[in-house]
Amino acid sequence: MKFFIFVTVAFLASFIVQEFIPAFEWAYLSRLLLVHITFLAIAAAVPFPAMLLYALIGGFIWDARHHIPIYPPEATAEIFIQAELPFGFTIFIFGLTGALIQGVRPLFCKGRWELPVLMIGICTSLGLLLEYLVISFHRGGLEIPVELWWKLLMSGLFSALVSPFLLLLLSRLGARSRYRLRSKNSYRRHNYDGDAI
Amino acid sequence: MSRLNIILLIVFVTALITITLSSPQTVARIQNGAMTVFSPFMRASNQLESGVETVGTESLSPAQLREVVDELERERNRLKLEVIQLDEIVRENNQLRRALQYVEKAPLSVVAARVISRKPSTWYNTMIIDKGKAHGIEVDNPVIVPVGEDAGLVGKVSEVVGDNSAIILLLTDEMCQVSAKLQNSQEQGILNGQRGALRTMPNLRLRYLSREAEVAPGRKVVSSGVGGLFPPDLVLGEVFSVEIGAIDAEVTVKPGVNFEELIDIFVVLPVRDPEDEADMQSESGDEDPVAVEKPASTAP
Repeated sequence: MKFFIFVTVAFLASFIVQEFIPAFEWAYLSRLLLVHITFLAIAAAVPFPAMLLYALIGGFIWDARHHIPIYPPEATAEIFIQAELPFGFTIFIFGLTGALIQGVRPLFCKGRWELPVLMIGICTSLGLLLEYLVISFHRGGLEIPVELWWKLLMSGLFSALVSPFLLLLLSRLGARSRYRLRSKNSYRRHNYDGDAI
Repeated sequence: MSRLNIILLIVFVTALITITLSSPQTVARIQNGAMTVFSPFMRASNQLESGVETVGTESLSPAQLREVVDELERERNRLKLEVIQLDEIVRENNQLRRALQYVEKAPLSVVAARVISRKPSTWYNTMIIDKGKAHGIEVDNPVIVPVGEDAGLVGKVSEVVGDNSAIILLLTDEMCQVSAKLQNSQEQGILNGQRGALRTMPNLRLRYLSREAEVAPGRKVVSSGVGGLFPPDLVLGEVFSVEIGAIDAEVTVKPGVNFEELIDIFVVLPVRDPEDEADMQSESGDEDPVAVEKPASTAP
């Protein structure tokens, strides 16, 4: 229980810290998406139901702060009232990428972080790419400039670089609060020091 | 997958659909609440950013500051004299207008606002200002700044998030489309920015010009006023390069406003007929909440 309280506080704090993170002009205005990274790191550490709950809460708060209601040019109130990126789309992105991260959770449980770190980077870029494709779908033309690939790549890279620190923080919190990671997919059970139980 | 997980997944999807189908009013209320919570952090972040930007810049000595103050005083005195002279001219102008029964064009009313967050969103070129519903700001209101002697278009209000904040969609975004023309010409087209917020100062695209249009690099591009959303003759930028196609010509335009250094901006409020305004007030039974800070220049 203690672990989940710590994790929830850390997740909420990431929304505040996110406000202080700039977008880098040299990286095509990509930025460190701390909230996304924190969520994905949490998704690697908690069971599926808890991941869904964090996706719901995190996606909702993110959209409450960052959602911009841009309507497609041909939209009228009568036929179309949804914005290009509808409110709640981040919940979907979080749910989807969180489910993907759950696939590498057994590795994280065993103390192997290479693939989870890589997956956090990939999932961050994947979420952004999905958003861009939805925007392009609404505007009726798929423009994929080179700068876009760089933006996606840099966002993923920033995530992959920062995620080990968050995974370390989560594992420390887990050890402190005696939270034991268990996975049905693991052949053996391990404690947080990586020892078989 | 266990039965519990399946049930939870169904609950998650149901919640997701419910949230996604929320009405725009509900979304606005939610965002208003979020903005109230986050705006202190946004302001702090903006101040921090400005502070970091000024680090390393040379500060003035007291003697230099004295010099600057003296210069500003001289300038103020000169402007005072100019205002007196202009008052005379305005009086004379009004007399002549009355004599000619000239129908005066509606003046623009603007609200001065400060940028509290300059960071673009992930996919849209936007910024957030510290004025909102309480100041009469509405969706689609144009946003301008002085550019030399003229007014330059910054963008339009995309969303009024609360009483004291609004999101501005910048001219550099693809979705901010402006009816534009080449200055001193009848050549008109549609100007828009770039998709995906990939740069702070991307070049703009002016499309649908005729192939015969006389476009030379450096020529000014201004708003045409067609459509009624944006006032005419706002500076948009200047021609950078021209591409003649099979049917029409497309021009790359360098923005006239420096989007990297926006601090104070002006939101143009819609001009209402005084009679309609009076009707609205009598219907609502309260005073006009619109705080017009500066009656600005007249529409050309």
